[in-house]
Amino acid sequence: MAQGRKAPREAWGSRLGVILAVAGSAIGLGNFLRFPVQAAKNGGGAFMIPYFISFLLLGLPLMWVEWTIGRFGGGLERSTAPGIFETVWQKNRFIKYFGVIGIFGPTVIFIYYTYIESWLLGYAIFALTGKCATCTDQRSMAAFLSGYLGLAQNEHFSSITPAYLFFLITFAINAIVLWLGLRGGIERVCKLGLVVLFAFAVMILVRVLTLGTPDPAQPAWNVRDGFGFLWNPRWADLKQAKVWLAAAGQVFFTLSVGFGVILTYASYLRKQDDVALSGLTAATTNEVAEVILGGSIVIPAAFAFFGPHGTMEIAEGGAFNLGFVTMPLVLQKVAFGQFFAFAWFFLLFIAGVTSSISLALPAIAFLQDEFNLDRKTACILFAIVTFNLCQVVIFFNGQGVLDEMDFWGGTFCVVVFALVEVVLFAWVFGMDKAWGELHSGSDIRIPQVYRFIIKYITPLFLILILGSYFVQQGKPMLLLENTPREKVPFIIGTRVLLIDLFAALAFLVWLAWRKREAKEATT
Amino acid sequence: MTTTGWAFLIISWGMILGLTVFCLSRTLRKKP
Repeated sequence: MAQGRKAPREAWGSRLGVILAVAGSAIGLGNFLRFPVQAAKNGGGAFMIPYFISFLLLGLPLMWVEWTIGRFGGGLERSTAPGIFETVWQKNRFIKYFGVIGIFGPTVIFIYYTYIESWLLGYAIFALTGKCATCTDQRSMAAFLSGYLGLAQNEHFSSITPAYLFFLITFAINAIVLWLGLRGGIERVCKLGLVVLFAFAVMILVRVLTLGTPDPAQPAWNVRDGFGFLWNPRWADLKQAKVWLAAAGQVFFTLSVGFGVILTYASYLRKQDDVALSGLTAATTNEVAEVILGGSIVIPAAFAFFGPHGTMEIAEGGAFNLGFVTMPLVLQKVAFGQFFAFAWFFLLFIAGVTSSISLALPAIAFLQDEFNLDRKTACILFAIVTFNLCQVVIFFNGQGVLDEMDFWGGTFCVVVFALVEVVLFAWVFGMDKAWGELHSGSDIRIPQVYRFIIKYITPLFLILILGSYFVQQGKPMLLLENTPREKVPFIIGTRVLLIDLFAALAFLVWLAWRKREAKEATT
Repeated sequence: MTTTGWAFLIISWGMILGLTVFCLSRTLRKKP
Protein backbone atom coordinates (compact mmCIF):
# COMPACT_ATOMS: atom_id res chain seq x y z
CA MET A 1 0.00 0.00 0.00
CA ALA A 2 1.32 3.40 -0.92
CA GLN A 3 2.51 5.68 1.83
CA GLY A 4 0.00 8.30 2.86
CA ARG A 5 -2.94 6.15 1.78
CA LYS A 6 -3.18 4.22 4.98
CA ALA A 7 -6.32 2.06 5.34
CA PRO A 8 -8.67 2.99 8.21
CA ARG A 9 -7.79 1.16 11.43
CA GLU A 10 -9.72 -1.98 12.20
CA ALA A 11 -12.12 -1.92 15.15
CA TRP A 12 -14.03 -4.40 17.26
CA GLY A 13 -17.64 -5.08 16.30
CA SER A 14 -18.97 -5.14 19.85
CA ARG A 15 -17.92 -4.77 23.45
CA LEU A 16 -18.70 -8.41 24.20
CA GLY A 17 -16.60 -9.36 21.18
CA VAL A 18 -13.40 -7.84 22.56
CA ILE A 19 -14.05 -9.27 26.04
CA LEU A 20 -14.53 -12.76 24.59
CA ALA A 21 -11.44 -12.35 22.40
CA VAL A 22 -9.33 -11.47 25.45
CA ALA A 23 -10.95 -14.30 27.46
CA GLY A 24 -10.36 -16.65 24.51
CA SER A 25 -6.73 -15.64 24.45
CA ALA A 26 -6.44 -16.36 28.18
CA ILE A 27 -8.39 -19.62 28.18
CA GLY A 28 -6.02 -22.27 26.94
CA LEU A 29 -4.61 -25.67 27.78
CA GLY A 30 -3.34 -24.29 31.08
CA ASN A 31 -6.88 -23.79 32.40
CA PHE A 32 -7.85 -27.42 31.95
CA LEU A 33 -4.51 -29.17 32.48
CA ARG A 34 -1.97 -26.99 34.29
CA PHE A 35 -4.25 -25.52 36.97
CA PRO A 36 -5.55 -28.83 38.43
CA VAL A 37 -2.03 -30.27 38.47
CA GLN A 38 -0.64 -27.20 40.26
CA ALA A 39 -3.47 -27.17 42.80
CA ALA A 40 -3.23 -30.90 43.52
CA LYS A 41 0.56 -30.72 43.96
CA ASN A 42 0.62 -27.52 46.02
CA GLY A 43 -1.68 -27.72 49.00
CA GLY A 44 -5.03 -28.73 47.50
CA GLY A 45 -7.73 -26.31 48.71
CA ALA A 46 -5.08 -24.29 50.55
CA PHE A 47 -3.57 -23.48 47.13
CA MET A 48 -6.59 -21.24 46.52
CA ILE A 49 -5.42 -18.80 49.23
CA PRO A 50 -2.18 -17.75 47.46
CA TYR A 51 -4.01 -18.17 44.15
CA PHE A 52 -6.69 -15.58 44.96
CA ILE A 53 -4.17 -13.25 46.61
CA SER A 54 -2.07 -13.41 43.43
CA PHE A 55 -5.16 -12.84 41.33
CA LEU A 56 -5.92 -9.64 43.26
CA LEU A 57 -2.35 -8.32 43.55
CA LEU A 58 -0.86 -9.46 40.26
CA GLY A 59 -3.41 -10.69 37.74
CA LEU A 60 -6.03 -7.96 37.91
CA PRO A 61 -3.58 -5.02 38.09
CA LEU A 62 -1.68 -6.29 35.05
CA MET A 63 -4.93 -6.86 33.20
CA TRP A 64 -5.95 -3.24 33.81
CA VAL A 65 -2.47 -1.95 32.92
CA GLU A 66 -2.50 -3.75 29.56
CA TRP A 67 -6.04 -2.75 28.65
CA THR A 68 -5.32 0.89 29.58
CA ILE A 69 -2.01 1.44 27.82
CA GLY A 70 -3.24 -0.61 24.86
CA ARG A 71 -6.23 1.69 24.37
CA PHE A 72 -4.02 4.75 24.98
CA GLY A 73 -1.53 3.64 22.29
CA GLY A 74 -4.34 2.71 19.92
CA GLY A 75 -5.66 6.26 20.17
CA LEU A 76 -2.34 7.35 18.64
CA GLU A 77 -2.61 4.63 15.98
CA ARG A 78 -0.02 2.33 17.59
CA SER A 79 -1.09 -1.29 18.13
CA THR A 80 2.04 -3.01 19.32
CA ALA A 81 4.45 -2.67 22.20
CA PRO A 82 7.30 -0.74 20.49
CA GLY A 83 4.94 2.04 19.41
CA ILE A 84 2.75 1.93 22.51
CA PHE A 85 5.75 2.08 24.85
CA GLU A 86 7.00 5.11 22.95
CA THR A 87 3.67 6.88 23.32
CA VAL A 88 3.90 6.31 27.08
CA TRP A 89 7.58 7.38 27.40
CA GLN A 90 8.11 9.78 24.53
CA LYS A 91 11.45 11.11 25.71
CA ASN A 92 13.17 7.72 25.78
CA ARG A 93 14.70 6.60 22.49
CA PHE A 94 15.39 3.03 23.65
CA ILE A 95 12.07 2.04 25.17
CA LYS A 96 10.83 0.87 21.76
CA TYR A 97 13.45 -1.89 21.84
CA PHE A 98 11.99 -3.20 25.11
CA GLY A 99 8.72 -3.28 23.19
CA VAL A 100 10.28 -5.81 20.79
CA ILE A 101 9.70 -8.39 23.56
CA GLY A 102 5.96 -7.84 23.04
CA ILE A 103 6.25 -9.10 19.45
CA PHE A 104 9.05 -11.62 19.91
CA GLY A 105 7.44 -13.45 22.88
CA PRO A 106 4.03 -14.16 21.31
CA THR A 107 5.63 -15.07 17.97
CA VAL A 108 7.91 -17.63 19.63
CA ILE A 109 4.99 -19.10 21.57
CA PHE A 110 2.91 -19.21 18.35
CA ILE A 111 5.66 -21.29 16.69
CA TYR A 112 5.43 -24.20 19.15
CA TYR A 113 1.86 -23.68 20.37
CA THR A 114 0.40 -24.23 16.88
CA TYR A 115 2.09 -27.62 16.75
CA ILE A 116 0.76 -28.66 20.18
CA GLU A 117 -2.67 -27.40 19.10
CA SER A 118 -2.51 -29.70 16.07
CA TRP A 119 -2.02 -32.74 18.37
CA LEU A 120 -5.39 -31.88 19.93
CA LEU A 121 -7.09 -31.82 16.55
CA GLY A 122 -5.44 -35.14 15.71
CA TYR A 123 -6.53 -36.71 19.00
CA ALA A 124 -10.10 -35.39 18.54
CA ILE A 125 -10.28 -37.19 15.19
CA PHE A 126 -8.61 -40.35 16.61
CA ALA A 127 -11.21 -40.34 19.39
CA LEU A 128 -14.03 -40.33 16.85
CA THR A 129 -12.46 -43.03 14.66
CA GLY A 130 -11.43 -45.16 17.65
CA LYS A 131 -7.77 -45.27 16.57
CA CYS A 132 -6.45 -45.24 20.14
CA ALA A 133 -9.07 -47.69 21.42
CA THR A 134 -6.48 -50.49 21.52
CA CYS A 135 -4.45 -48.58 24.14
CA THR A 136 -5.79 -49.73 27.47
CA ASP A 137 -3.05 -48.65 29.89
CA GLN A 138 -0.76 -45.70 30.55
CA ARG A 139 2.23 -47.39 28.86
CA SER A 140 0.48 -48.11 25.57
CA MET A 141 -1.18 -44.67 25.52
CA ALA A 142 2.25 -43.06 26.08
CA ALA A 143 3.61 -45.21 23.20
CA PHE A 144 0.72 -43.99 21.02
CA LEU A 145 1.73 -40.37 21.72
CA SER A 146 5.42 -41.10 21.01
CA GLY A 147 4.50 -42.80 17.74
CA TYR A 148 2.23 -39.91 16.72
CA LEU A 149 4.97 -37.35 17.37
CA GLY A 150 7.48 -39.36 15.36
CA LEU A 151 9.63 -40.07 18.42
CA ALA A 152 9.25 -43.83 17.91
CA GLN A 153 8.04 -46.21 15.22
CA ASN A 154 5.51 -48.64 16.64
CA GLU A 155 2.30 -50.52 15.91
CA HIS A 156 0.35 -47.23 16.03
CA PHE A 157 2.39 -45.02 13.69
CA SER A 158 5.24 -45.67 11.28
CA SER A 159 6.01 -42.00 10.50
CA ILE A 160 5.30 -38.42 11.47
CA THR A 161 3.05 -37.93 8.40
CA PRO A 162 -0.32 -37.91 10.29
CA ALA A 163 1.03 -35.39 12.82
CA TYR A 164 2.34 -33.22 9.98
CA LEU A 165 -1.00 -33.37 8.19
CA PHE A 166 -2.86 -32.20 11.29
CA PHE A 167 -0.27 -29.47 11.74
CA LEU A 168 -0.91 -28.23 8.17
CA ILE A 169 -4.67 -28.15 8.81
CA THR A 170 -4.22 -26.32 12.14
CA PHE A 171 -1.80 -23.81 10.66
CA ALA A 172 -4.20 -23.17 7.76
CA ILE A 173 -7.12 -22.61 10.17
CA ASN A 174 -5.07 -20.04 12.09
CA ALA A 175 -3.96 -18.31 8.89
CA ILE A 176 -7.52 -18.13 7.53
CA VAL A 177 -8.91 -16.64 10.76
CA LEU A 178 -6.14 -14.02 10.78
CA TRP A 179 -6.65 -13.33 7.07
CA LEU A 180 -10.33 -12.58 7.76
CA GLY A 181 -9.28 -9.84 10.16
CA LEU A 182 -10.21 -8.55 13.58
CA ARG A 183 -13.98 -8.43 13.27
CA GLY A 184 -14.64 -11.00 10.56
CA GLY A 185 -12.10 -13.53 11.80
CA ILE A 186 -10.86 -13.21 15.40
CA GLU A 187 -14.01 -11.76 16.97
CA ARG A 188 -16.36 -14.17 15.19
CA VAL A 189 -14.24 -17.24 16.00
CA CYS A 190 -13.87 -16.25 19.67
CA LYS A 191 -17.60 -15.61 20.10
CA LEU A 192 -18.58 -18.94 18.55
CA GLY A 193 -15.57 -20.83 19.90
CA LEU A 194 -16.13 -19.90 23.53
CA VAL A 195 -19.79 -20.92 23.37
CA VAL A 196 -18.82 -24.35 21.98
CA LEU A 197 -15.94 -24.63 24.47
CA PHE A 198 -18.12 -23.90 27.50
CA ALA A 199 -20.90 -26.18 26.19
CA PHE A 200 -18.49 -29.11 25.74
CA ALA A 201 -16.79 -28.45 29.08
CA VAL A 202 -20.14 -28.40 30.94
CA MET A 203 -21.16 -31.63 29.19
CA ILE A 204 -17.94 -33.38 30.26
CA LEU A 205 -18.28 -31.91 33.75
CA VAL A 206 -21.78 -33.38 34.09
CA ARG A 207 -20.45 -36.75 32.90
CA VAL A 208 -17.62 -36.62 35.47
CA LEU A 209 -20.03 -35.62 38.27
CA THR A 210 -22.21 -38.64 37.47
CA LEU A 211 -19.31 -41.14 37.46
CA GLY A 212 -20.01 -42.07 41.09
CA THR A 213 -17.88 -45.06 42.12
CA PRO A 214 -16.90 -46.73 38.84
CA ASP A 215 -15.14 -49.70 40.47
CA PRO A 216 -17.28 -51.24 43.25
CA ALA A 217 -14.19 -53.14 44.44
CA GLN A 218 -12.61 -49.75 45.29
CA PRO A 219 -15.37 -47.84 47.13
CA ALA A 220 -12.96 -45.05 48.15
CA TRP A 221 -12.20 -44.31 44.50
CA ASN A 222 -15.15 -42.04 43.77
CA VAL A 223 -15.78 -38.62 42.29
CA ARG A 224 -16.61 -36.99 45.64
CA ASP A 225 -13.25 -37.98 47.07
CA GLY A 226 -11.71 -36.95 43.75
CA PHE A 227 -12.92 -33.42 44.52
CA GLY A 228 -11.54 -33.92 48.02
CA PHE A 229 -8.14 -34.79 46.51
CA LEU A 230 -8.11 -31.37 44.86
CA TRP A 231 -9.93 -29.26 47.47
CA ASN A 232 -9.08 -30.66 50.93
CA PRO A 233 -6.57 -28.12 52.26
CA ARG A 234 -3.10 -29.19 53.31
CA TRP A 235 -2.26 -26.23 55.56
CA ALA A 236 1.37 -27.21 56.12
CA ASP A 237 2.07 -26.69 52.39
CA LEU A 238 1.37 -22.96 52.77
CA LYS A 239 4.62 -22.63 54.73
CA GLN A 240 6.56 -23.47 51.58
CA ALA A 241 7.59 -20.56 49.35
CA LYS A 242 7.28 -22.76 46.25
CA VAL A 243 3.53 -23.10 46.80
CA TRP A 244 3.07 -19.32 46.79
CA LEU A 245 5.28 -18.97 43.72
CA ALA A 246 3.39 -21.75 41.95
CA ALA A 247 0.10 -19.95 42.63
CA ALA A 248 1.50 -16.60 41.47
CA GLY A 249 2.91 -18.22 38.34
CA GLN A 250 -0.37 -19.95 37.56
CA VAL A 251 -2.40 -16.72 37.89
CA PHE A 252 0.15 -14.83 35.84
CA PHE A 253 0.24 -17.28 32.93
CA THR A 254 -3.46 -18.10 32.87
CA LEU A 255 -4.54 -14.51 32.28
CA SER A 256 -2.33 -14.00 29.19
CA VAL A 257 -0.86 -10.87 30.77
CA GLY A 258 2.70 -9.98 29.86
CA PHE A 259 2.48 -11.41 26.35
CA GLY A 260 1.72 -8.15 24.54
CA VAL A 261 -1.48 -9.70 23.22
CA ILE A 262 -4.01 -7.80 25.36
CA LEU A 263 -2.09 -4.62 24.56
CA THR A 264 -2.75 -5.17 20.86
CA TYR A 265 -6.38 -6.24 21.34
CA ALA A 266 -7.09 -3.16 23.49
CA SER A 267 -5.45 -0.86 20.94
CA TYR A 268 -8.45 -1.42 18.65
CA LEU A 269 -10.83 0.05 21.24
CA ARG A 270 -12.19 3.55 20.88
CA LYS A 271 -11.11 6.33 23.24
CA GLN A 272 -14.43 6.36 25.13
CA ASP A 273 -14.67 2.57 25.50
CA ASP A 274 -14.54 1.13 29.01
CA VAL A 275 -11.44 -0.84 30.00
CA ALA A 276 -11.88 -1.30 33.77
CA LEU A 277 -15.02 -3.44 33.67
CA SER A 278 -14.04 -5.16 30.41
CA GLY A 279 -10.69 -6.23 31.85
CA LEU A 280 -12.36 -7.53 35.00
CA THR A 281 -15.00 -9.41 32.97
CA ALA A 282 -12.38 -11.09 30.76
CA ALA A 283 -10.39 -12.11 33.86
CA THR A 284 -13.37 -13.58 35.71
CA THR A 285 -14.57 -15.46 32.59
CA ASN A 286 -11.12 -17.05 32.46
CA GLU A 287 -11.43 -18.00 36.15
CA VAL A 288 -14.75 -19.77 35.51
CA ALA A 289 -13.04 -21.88 32.85
CA GLU A 290 -10.04 -22.53 35.11
CA VAL A 291 -11.28 -23.05 38.66
CA ILE A 292 -14.82 -24.27 38.07
CA LEU A 293 -14.47 -26.27 34.85
CA GLY A 294 -10.73 -27.03 34.75
CA GLY A 295 -10.67 -27.94 38.42
CA SER A 296 -13.62 -30.31 38.15
CA ILE A 297 -12.76 -32.51 35.20
CA VAL A 298 -9.37 -34.19 35.02
CA ILE A 299 -8.40 -34.71 38.66
CA PRO A 300 -11.79 -35.99 39.96
CA ALA A 301 -12.11 -38.24 36.87
CA ALA A 302 -8.56 -39.60 37.20
CA PHE A 303 -9.12 -40.19 40.94
CA ALA A 304 -12.28 -42.22 40.33
CA PHE A 305 -10.40 -44.61 38.02
CA PHE A 306 -6.83 -44.62 39.37
CA GLY A 307 -7.24 -43.81 43.10
CA PRO A 308 -5.18 -41.41 45.24
CA HIS A 309 -1.71 -42.86 44.57
CA GLY A 310 -2.31 -43.28 40.85
CA THR A 311 -3.65 -39.73 40.57
CA MET A 312 -0.68 -38.26 42.45
CA GLU A 313 1.69 -40.14 40.11
CA ILE A 314 -0.25 -38.83 37.11
CA ALA A 315 -0.16 -35.25 38.48
CA GLU A 316 3.60 -35.58 39.08
CA GLY A 317 3.90 -36.68 35.43
CA GLY A 318 2.75 -33.20 34.39
CA ALA A 319 -0.06 -31.57 32.47
CA PHE A 320 0.67 -33.21 29.10
CA ASN A 321 0.61 -36.66 30.62
CA LEU A 322 -2.74 -35.83 32.18
CA GLY A 323 -4.23 -34.52 28.95
CA PHE A 324 -2.87 -36.88 26.32
CA VAL A 325 -2.39 -40.11 28.26
CA THR A 326 -4.68 -40.21 31.29
CA MET A 327 -7.83 -38.51 29.99
CA PRO A 328 -8.20 -40.71 26.87
CA LEU A 329 -7.90 -43.76 29.14
CA VAL A 330 -10.48 -42.41 31.58
CA LEU A 331 -12.93 -41.50 28.83
CA GLN A 332 -12.55 -44.95 27.24
CA LYS A 333 -14.08 -46.38 30.38
CA VAL A 334 -17.28 -44.34 30.39
CA ALA A 335 -20.44 -44.81 28.33
CA PHE A 336 -20.29 -42.87 25.03
CA GLY A 337 -16.56 -42.54 25.75
CA GLN A 338 -15.68 -41.95 22.09
CA PHE A 339 -17.91 -38.90 21.94
CA PHE A 340 -16.69 -37.53 25.30
CA ALA A 341 -13.06 -38.06 24.27
CA PHE A 342 -13.79 -36.14 21.04
CA ALA A 343 -15.49 -33.36 23.05
CA TRP A 344 -12.50 -33.19 25.43
CA PHE A 345 -9.87 -32.84 22.73
CA PHE A 346 -12.02 -30.59 20.57
CA LEU A 347 -12.66 -28.18 23.43
CA LEU A 348 -8.93 -28.04 24.09
CA PHE A 349 -8.35 -27.48 20.36
CA ILE A 350 -10.78 -24.53 20.40
CA ALA A 351 -9.06 -23.16 23.51
CA GLY A 352 -5.79 -23.49 21.57
CA VAL A 353 -7.06 -21.72 18.44
CA THR A 354 -8.50 -18.75 20.34
CA SER A 355 -5.11 -18.39 22.05
CA SER A 356 -2.85 -18.89 19.02
CA ILE A 357 -4.66 -16.35 16.83
CA SER A 358 -4.12 -13.79 19.58
CA LEU A 359 -0.42 -14.68 19.70
CA ALA A 360 -0.05 -14.01 15.98
CA LEU A 361 -1.73 -10.62 16.06
CA PRO A 362 1.06 -8.45 17.55
CA ALA A 363 3.49 -9.33 14.73
CA ILE A 364 0.82 -8.82 12.05
CA ALA A 365 -0.34 -5.54 13.59
CA PHE A 366 3.30 -4.38 13.77
CA LEU A 367 3.76 -4.93 10.03
CA GLN A 368 0.48 -3.13 9.33
CA ASP A 369 1.18 -0.16 11.62
CA GLU A 370 4.85 0.45 11.05
CA PHE A 371 5.27 -0.57 7.40
CA ASN A 372 1.82 0.43 6.10
CA LEU A 373 1.16 -3.08 4.82
CA ASP A 374 -2.42 -4.20 4.31
CA ARG A 375 -3.65 -7.01 6.56
CA LYS A 376 -3.48 -9.74 3.94
CA THR A 377 0.11 -8.98 2.96
CA ALA A 378 1.09 -8.84 6.64
CA CYS A 379 -0.63 -12.20 7.21
CA ILE A 380 1.20 -13.81 4.29
CA LEU A 381 4.58 -12.55 5.51
CA PHE A 382 3.88 -13.73 9.06
CA ALA A 383 2.69 -17.12 7.82
CA ILE A 384 5.78 -17.67 5.64
CA VAL A 385 8.21 -16.86 8.46
CA THR A 386 6.43 -18.79 11.23
CA PHE A 387 5.65 -21.80 9.01
CA ASN A 388 9.36 -22.22 8.36
CA LEU A 389 10.23 -21.79 12.03
CA CYS A 390 7.56 -24.36 13.01
CA GLN A 391 9.52 -26.99 11.04
CA VAL A 392 12.31 -26.76 13.62
CA VAL A 393 9.88 -27.60 16.42
CA ILE A 394 8.26 -30.44 14.47
CA PHE A 395 11.36 -32.20 13.19
CA PHE A 396 13.58 -31.65 16.25
CA ASN A 397 10.85 -32.47 18.76
CA GLY A 398 12.23 -34.49 21.64
CA GLN A 399 15.58 -32.67 21.46
CA GLY A 400 14.60 -29.93 23.92
CA VAL A 401 13.76 -27.33 21.23
CA LEU A 402 10.16 -26.89 22.38
CA ASP A 403 11.10 -26.58 26.07
CA GLU A 404 13.79 -24.05 25.22
CA MET A 405 11.35 -21.90 23.23
CA ASP A 406 8.78 -22.23 26.01
CA PHE A 407 11.27 -21.02 28.60
CA TRP A 408 12.42 -17.93 26.69
CA GLY A 409 9.18 -17.02 24.87
CA GLY A 410 6.59 -18.31 27.31
CA THR A 411 8.22 -17.69 30.69
CA PHE A 412 11.21 -15.34 30.79
CA CYS A 413 10.03 -12.76 28.24
CA VAL A 414 6.52 -12.70 29.70
CA VAL A 415 7.66 -11.78 33.21
CA VAL A 416 10.20 -9.21 31.96
CA PHE A 417 7.61 -7.63 29.65
CA ALA A 418 5.02 -7.43 32.42
CA LEU A 419 7.56 -5.75 34.70
CA VAL A 420 8.46 -3.19 32.02
CA GLU A 421 4.84 -2.31 31.31
CA VAL A 422 3.78 -1.97 34.95
CA VAL A 423 6.80 0.28 35.66
CA LEU A 424 5.99 2.36 32.57
CA PHE A 425 2.38 2.64 33.65
CA ALA A 426 2.86 3.54 37.29
CA TRP A 427 6.24 5.27 37.37
CA VAL A 428 6.79 6.82 33.93
CA PHE A 429 3.25 7.60 32.79
CA GLY A 430 2.61 8.55 36.40
CA MET A 431 -0.01 7.11 38.71
CA ASP A 432 -2.32 10.15 38.58
CA LYS A 433 -2.41 10.25 34.78
CA ALA A 434 -2.58 6.44 34.57
CA TRP A 435 -5.47 6.29 37.03
CA GLY A 436 -7.35 8.91 35.04
CA GLU A 437 -6.71 7.03 31.80
CA LEU A 438 -7.88 3.76 33.37
CA HIS A 439 -11.15 5.37 34.47
CA SER A 440 -11.79 7.26 31.24
CA GLY A 441 -15.12 5.93 29.92
CA SER A 442 -15.15 3.40 32.77
CA ASP A 443 -18.33 1.66 33.95
CA ILE A 444 -16.91 0.87 37.40
CA ARG A 445 -14.72 2.61 39.96
CA ILE A 446 -11.69 0.58 40.93
CA PRO A 447 -10.90 0.76 44.69
CA GLN A 448 -8.27 3.41 45.49
CA VAL A 449 -6.07 0.79 47.17
CA TYR A 450 -5.15 -0.39 43.66
CA ARG A 451 -3.16 2.82 43.14
CA PHE A 452 -0.79 1.56 45.84
CA ILE A 453 -0.93 -2.05 44.63
CA ILE A 454 -0.13 -1.20 40.99
CA LYS A 455 2.68 1.17 41.97
CA TYR A 456 4.46 -0.94 44.59
CA ILE A 457 3.08 -4.43 45.14
CA THR A 458 2.72 -5.67 41.56
CA PRO A 459 6.27 -4.69 40.47
CA LEU A 460 7.71 -6.26 43.65
CA PHE A 461 5.69 -9.42 43.06
CA LEU A 462 7.05 -9.61 39.51
CA ILE A 463 10.64 -9.09 40.64
CA LEU A 464 10.13 -11.91 43.14
CA ILE A 465 8.76 -14.23 40.45
CA LEU A 466 11.56 -13.31 38.06
CA GLY A 467 14.20 -13.93 40.73
CA SER A 468 12.75 -17.27 41.76
CA TYR A 469 12.37 -18.44 38.17
CA PHE A 470 15.95 -17.47 37.52
CA VAL A 471 17.20 -19.47 40.50
CA GLN A 472 14.89 -22.47 39.99
CA GLN A 473 14.79 -22.73 36.20
CA GLY A 474 16.75 -19.94 34.54
CA LYS A 475 20.24 -20.59 35.89
CA PRO A 476 20.20 -24.38 35.39
CA MET A 477 18.62 -23.91 31.95
CA LEU A 478 21.02 -21.15 30.90
CA LEU A 479 24.05 -23.19 31.92
CA LEU A 480 22.53 -26.41 30.48
CA GLU A 481 23.07 -28.06 33.88
CA ASN A 482 20.47 -30.83 33.54
CA THR A 483 20.64 -31.19 29.76
CA PRO A 484 21.72 -34.52 28.26
CA ARG A 485 24.84 -34.08 26.12
CA GLU A 486 23.17 -35.22 22.91
CA LYS A 487 20.61 -32.40 23.19
CA VAL A 488 23.14 -29.60 23.73
CA PRO A 489 23.74 -28.81 19.99
CA PHE A 490 19.98 -28.57 19.38
CA ILE A 491 19.48 -26.26 22.33
CA ILE A 492 22.37 -24.02 21.33
CA GLY A 493 20.96 -23.99 17.78
CA THR A 494 17.57 -22.94 19.16
CA ARG A 495 19.16 -20.12 21.13
CA VAL A 496 20.96 -18.87 18.02
CA LEU A 497 17.65 -18.99 16.16
CA LEU A 498 15.86 -17.04 18.90
CA ILE A 499 18.63 -14.43 19.07
CA ASP A 500 18.41 -14.06 15.27
CA LEU A 501 14.65 -13.62 15.46
CA PHE A 502 14.94 -11.01 18.21
CA ALA A 503 17.68 -9.17 16.29
CA ALA A 504 15.58 -9.23 13.10
CA LEU A 505 12.60 -7.74 14.94
CA ALA A 506 14.79 -5.10 16.60
CA PHE A 507 16.18 -4.23 13.14
CA LEU A 508 12.63 -3.90 11.78
CA VAL A 509 11.79 -1.53 14.64
CA TRP A 510 14.90 0.53 13.89
CA LEU A 511 14.02 0.58 10.16
CA ALA A 512 10.40 1.54 10.77
CA TRP A 513 11.38 4.39 13.07
CA ARG A 514 13.97 5.65 10.60
CA LYS A 515 11.34 5.70 7.86
CA ARG A 516 8.87 7.42 10.17
CA GLU A 517 11.40 10.09 11.15
CA ALA A 518 12.36 10.68 7.51
CA LYS A 519 8.69 11.04 6.61
CA GLU A 520 8.07 13.46 9.48
CA ALA A 521 11.12 15.51 8.43
CA THR A 522 9.81 15.90 4.87
CA THR A 523 6.29 16.84 5.96
CA MET B 1 -14.06 -34.73 50.94
CA THR B 2 -13.79 -32.96 54.27
CA THR B 3 -16.01 -30.10 55.47
CA THR B 4 -13.11 -27.67 55.01
CA GLY B 5 -12.66 -28.97 51.48
CA TRP B 6 -16.31 -28.31 50.73
CA ALA B 7 -15.97 -24.85 52.29
CA PHE B 8 -13.02 -24.02 50.03
CA LEU B 9 -14.86 -25.27 46.97
CA ILE B 10 -18.09 -23.42 47.72
CA ILE B 11 -16.38 -20.14 48.66
CA SER B 12 -14.10 -20.23 45.59
CA TRP B 13 -16.88 -21.11 43.17
CA GLY B 14 -19.21 -18.60 44.80
CA MET B 15 -16.71 -15.74 44.56
CA ILE B 16 -15.85 -16.47 40.94
CA LEU B 17 -19.42 -17.02 39.79
CA GLY B 18 -20.69 -14.00 41.74
CA LEU B 19 -18.05 -11.70 40.27
CA THR B 20 -18.56 -13.07 36.75
CA VAL B 21 -22.34 -12.62 36.88
CA PHE B 22 -21.89 -9.09 38.26
CA CYS B 23 -19.41 -8.20 35.52
CA LEU B 24 -21.39 -9.74 32.68
CA SER B 25 -24.66 -8.12 33.78
CA ARG B 26 -22.96 -4.71 33.98
CA THR B 27 -21.22 -5.29 30.65
CA LEU B 28 -24.39 -6.30 28.83
CA ARG B 29 -26.41 -3.47 30.31
CA LYS B 30 -26.97 -0.80 27.69
CA LYS B 31 -25.45 2.58 28.47
CA PRO B 32 -28.04 5.42 28.62
